[in-house]
Amino acid sequence: MSAFPSLAPRPPASLETVHNILGSLVARYRQEEVLTTVRQIPARVAKFRPLPAWVTSALSEAYRAKGIRELYSHQASSAELVRDGKNVVVVTPTSSGKTLCYNLPLLNAVLENPDTRALYLFPTKALAQDQLAELQDLAKRLDDAFGVFTYDGDTPSDARKAIRERGHIVLTNPDMLHAGMLPHHTKWMRLFENLRYIVLDELHTYRGVFGSHLANVLRRLKRVARFYGSDPRFICCSATIANPRELAAQLIEQDVEVIEENGAPAGEKLFLFYNPPMVNRNLGIRRSYINEATRVAKEILARKLQTIVFANSRLHTEVLLTYLQQANPPKPGQPEPIRGYRGGYLPGERREIERGLRDGRILGVVATNALELGIDVGSLDACVLAGYPGSIASTWQRAGRAGRRSGSSCAVLVASSAPLDQFIVQHPDYFFGSSPEHAHIQPDNLEILVNHLKCAAFELPLSPDERFGNVDLPELCERLGEAGFLHRSGGNWHWIDEAYPADTISLRSVTSDNFVIIDTTGEADGKPEVIGEVDFSSALTTVHPKAIYIHQGQQYHVERLDFDKHKAYVKPVNVDYFTDAIRYTQVRVLEIAEEEAMTGPAARVHGDVLVRSQVVGFKKIKFFTNENVGSGKLELPESEMHTTAFWITLGHGLLAELPFSLSQRQSGIFGLLYALGSMATLLTMCDRRDLGTAVGERPPSAAAEIRWEDFATVPSNAPDAKQFFEPNLYVYDAYPGGIGFSEPLYRIYSTLLRRTRELISACSCENGCPSCVGPTADRSERTKGVALEILERLCRDAQVLPEKTEETA
Amino acid sequence: MRYVKLDRVRALKAPRRPFSAADEWQACLVNPEGDSHSRSRTIRNESDRLAQILGATKRTNQHGDYFSLHCWCAEPPQYSPDLRALKLLLPDASHEIADPEQWLFLDTETTGLAGGSGTYAFLVGIAWWEGGGLEIEQFFLREYSEERSLLFALRERIAEHPVLVTFNGKSFDWPLLETRYRMSRKITPPVPRAHLDFLHPARNLWRLRLGSVRLSELERHVLGWDRGADVLSDLIPRIYLDFVRGGPPERLVPVFHHNQMDLRGLAALSSRVLSLVSDAENVGKDGLELFGVSRICEKRGENARARALYEKSIASVLPTETDRAARHSLARLAKREGDFNLACELWKEALGNSRQGYDAYEQLAMYYEHKARDPEQARQIVRQALDELRRANQVGDITPGPYREIKARFDHRMTRLERKSRRPLLDVLDMESQAQW
Repeated sequence: MSAFPSLAPRPPASLETVHNILGSLVARYRQEEVLTTVRQIPARVAKFRPLPAWVTSALSEAYRAKGIRELYSHQASSAELVRDGKNVVVVTPTSSGKTLCYNLPLLNAVLENPDTRALYLFPTKALAQDQLAELQDLAKRLDDAFGVFTYDGDTPSDARKAIRERGHIVLTNPDMLHAGMLPHHTKWMRLFENLRYIVLDELHTYRGVFGSHLANVLRRLKRVARFYGSDPRFICCSATIANPRELAAQLIEQDVEVIEENGAPAGEKLFLFYNPPMVNRNLGIRRSYINEATRVAKEILARKLQTIVFANSRLHTEVLLTYLQQANPPKPGQPEPIRGYRGGYLPGERREIERGLRDGRILGVVATNALELGIDVGSLDACVLAGYPGSIASTWQRAGRAGRRSGSSCAVLVASSAPLDQFIVQHPDYFFGSSPEHAHIQPDNLEILVNHLKCAAFELPLSPDERFGNVDLPELCERLGEAGFLHRSGGNWHWIDEAYPADTISLRSVTSDNFVIIDTTGEADGKPEVIGEVDFSSALTTVHPKAIYIHQGQQYHVERLDFDKHKAYVKPVNVDYFTDAIRYTQVRVLEIAEEEAMTGPAARVHGDVLVRSQVVGFKKIKFFTNENVGSGKLELPESEMHTTAFWITLGHGLLAELPFSLSQRQSGIFGLLYALGSMATLLTMCDRRDLGTAVGERPPSAAAEIRWEDFATVPSNAPDAKQFFEPNLYVYDAYPGGIGFSEPLYRIYSTLLRRTRELISACSCENGCPSCVGPTADRSERTKGVALEILERLCRDAQVLPEKTEETA
Repeated sequence: MRYVKLDRVRALKAPRRPFSAADEWQACLVNPEGDSHSRSRTIRNESDRLAQILGATKRTNQHGDYFSLHCWCAEPPQYSPDLRALKLLLPDASHEIADPEQWLFLDTETTGLAGGSGTYAFLVGIAWWEGGGLEIEQFFLREYSEERSLLFALRERIAEHPVLVTFNGKSFDWPLLETRYRMSRKITPPVPRAHLDFLHPARNLWRLRLGSVRLSELERHVLGWDRGADVLSDLIPRIYLDFVRGGPPERLVPVFHHNQMDLRGLAALSSRVLSLVSDAENVGKDGLELFGVSRICEKRGENARARALYEKSIASVLPTETDRAARHSLARLAKREGDFNLACELWKEALGNSRQGYDAYEQLAMYYEHKARDPEQARQIVRQALDELRRANQVGDITPGPYREIKARFDHRMTRLERKSRRPLLDVLDMESQAQW
């Protein structure tokens, strides 16, 4: 780009530059303390193989014209296996040419037999759009020998008919397949009759709730395909996880071949773990990781290295963006060099940022996980991760955004004081070792399965001798029949309800119900401007009245929130603080599924609960110093969720015999729950947001409406000294209806307690810190000690239990 | 509601809800603890009772049993459309299609309104002209397992009367039946020779007057019929599903009646539409109907007839809005035929603060600029339009969106006119020859 001579051509970041950066980073602190790990990952040379002989000349010509004359070894293996009719899962890192692994054999099949149809599933709409461009380019080179279309919520209805008839390759997402295609399969007869291939890209994203849903959607898909006489093969691509074969086999319920050797070249990379220095060793307080991440990014940007900074929340994205834009103001007459990128930005804005990154006009971008998956932004020089993304696979994917093919690059993980972050930076071998983490799904989770069984019955009557997951199908049908959903006729079970079942079932825990954010500045001229959107679940915490909403570094004050119309009206302001919402959570037990007394005395329980939460206020937090400079009360509607929970009831005897004061006991209970929540996340391999925690009084006194803070959300406000007679420590599924973590937690409770004890006792802080029992407001609380005392009493019982109770995990 | 709607499996474990008093009689028929076999036997008995009540018969074809109900009505009487009128609705209609013997009126009642492969047509009503009146046959799904025989029987009727006539059947009933045929995997979907759907003609003719064009509304206001007590169509799926779950067959009787009325209404409405289209001049009851027919004629390119009908509809008394629309259309036709005297006269009358009013300003300006070659006059018209707009905006008679859009259009025209007036004559002439008119 001649207009930006300072940035182009960008020299690859040599290791020397990176080492200079390291030098300046640790100049202020002792190196061994801050940089816990410096790992150099050597460059890898490409392993090439020729294009297979069976590739039609037209297709090999088209690829040759794009500059692809040879294949990387994994691409060749995948093409051969697909050709042989095998199911395949390709496990290779970011930017190793994964798409060719499926495009080549599939397009070849379409060119050999124009009746062939293939369905591509991507976890997001944006990814499908990205792939469309690549496939359309190939279609053009092949004189439109095949039709390729995206089919999603944005597809205009008049285009849908053409897609059904002429789409050889249809790119869509699981949600659309679930609610738009399968229930109308007769309209897609052409596709289903000739469906030979299904591509599942970003396989590792299909874990937990989403994965369990997808496995059932695929069961339905295979049923419908069978009805039309086809038996498609699956081609999956995944980021590196420990169990790709298991995950793929669980999702598609067939055998798969795994391709793990990576033939793509990669440049040398330096991976650093940066642990912000301790400010107060006793309290375990470290310097703010956001501020430290800003420092790291500033050092790198100052050397004109193109950098991507990842934050784990929208709020942090905007805070980081504000800091970095202040440090890197645009040159006169030139565009802003640092940009933000996250879900709430409008599509046009996003495309512009992606282009800007590719052509070098943008020097730095601060992003959420929206940029983690394969959107093409070209190769960057450096990546800064503000906080551990929650899984090793995500960390590698984000780090892979820097240094795609050649040249050196660096990635810096700046740890927060959250338990998982501290665990990772202090155990680098866990991270860099060969077997990182397992993706788990629960396709036979009855909650999820039954919902999809309803959809399946709507799609095609259920026959008693068919199989749908590993459940007793006739028994389930019988029950659904009794409940009035199914009706048996001529031996088969038919759907008999007016409702359209797929409509009410969402595949993700987040609702698609968005709040629109409107800038009212132009209102006088009749031109209020929509500046973005937030989803329903985060609307109450980010755009409540008087909140400071930050968009592209600009602060907006929320003047009014129209809850019914899903609109937030904002005005741009310039203030030196941001806001953080305070949420209260209350749990009520509805039904106990299983309960067992433990010594302690205590009890473990799982069952149904009603979780009520409400945003009741907010804090104003000053930029840079993070001082609390004010607060406000809010009157917002309460949200209510029926879900499942695992909880431990602490007997009165246990608490009474503890040699601590009332308030010490109190904070110990909250601290214990904090640690239990962290450990439960790790053990069930779920996202922190999938589990909620709360403390409540054991019934019957629960009738008194007491509101207890969600300790994880508002750590600094210690709960009032209210004496619990027999408290319940809840770990609930943060998903209406539950996602099935509660029962496993109930079964593995002894492991849970043991591991939690390890986590707390191994922590080097004195009285508790964010890395173990959560931050403590006052040293006299002795949170850590109390939590350990309670655990000690609970574990006496747990340890003697036989091992087999833990298998169900 | 007789059954509890459940979202959660857990609730499935709950004991069956006790029957309410209203369901008492049925509790003795259905064994609450009974297995599916005994339940399906009682349902069979129920449907026998339904057959008795309705006078329906069980028939059999190669795919099994189906349930059919026949009746004949003298009202509405058979109507033979003329081909010319039919072509206005279906341009490629042939003599064969105009033969009323070929027609098959069709209307279905379904288990849901959203469509999709789990929505069944449980009652398929068809009708054809016979003996000067209407012969109605209704196929009813007592059990989902009878669907194949029902679809096969319907296929046979369509073969006998291959011209399908429906109301909103193009987007609802017929695609749904096609889905049912595809789901059966055994019976190829029948292919009607033609499909006449009266929803759009009815919209053209009566929406301005009635607002809604639901079939029952049209019957009351256009045909002057009164259905009396009728079941709400939104409730129909639930009534049937309750029956399937073992509910009382009596409640289905009004549904059969509703479907019969729909078929009779459809047949009568089709006659009314076709006679209007064929001879609106004499049959048309009011200006609005005449206006509707002229719109259909204009769409099919019958300009002369359309013009005559527009004039006739304006001559009768029309509501202000429609009158404006009719004059607007008439002016458009006059302009197309080069009758600028009439066109200008209509435009001048139409000037004002309305969509058509601003259109008229624009048309007049175009006329003066390009046809009459009087740019000064054109400028004056544009100025007048801008004044009108400004006034309307000041008193709030126009919303900001349209205001901006229309203002931009006239501003643009004004700029062009002013630029033109400053140009030497030769340039103007040159531009004239390229001008788009």
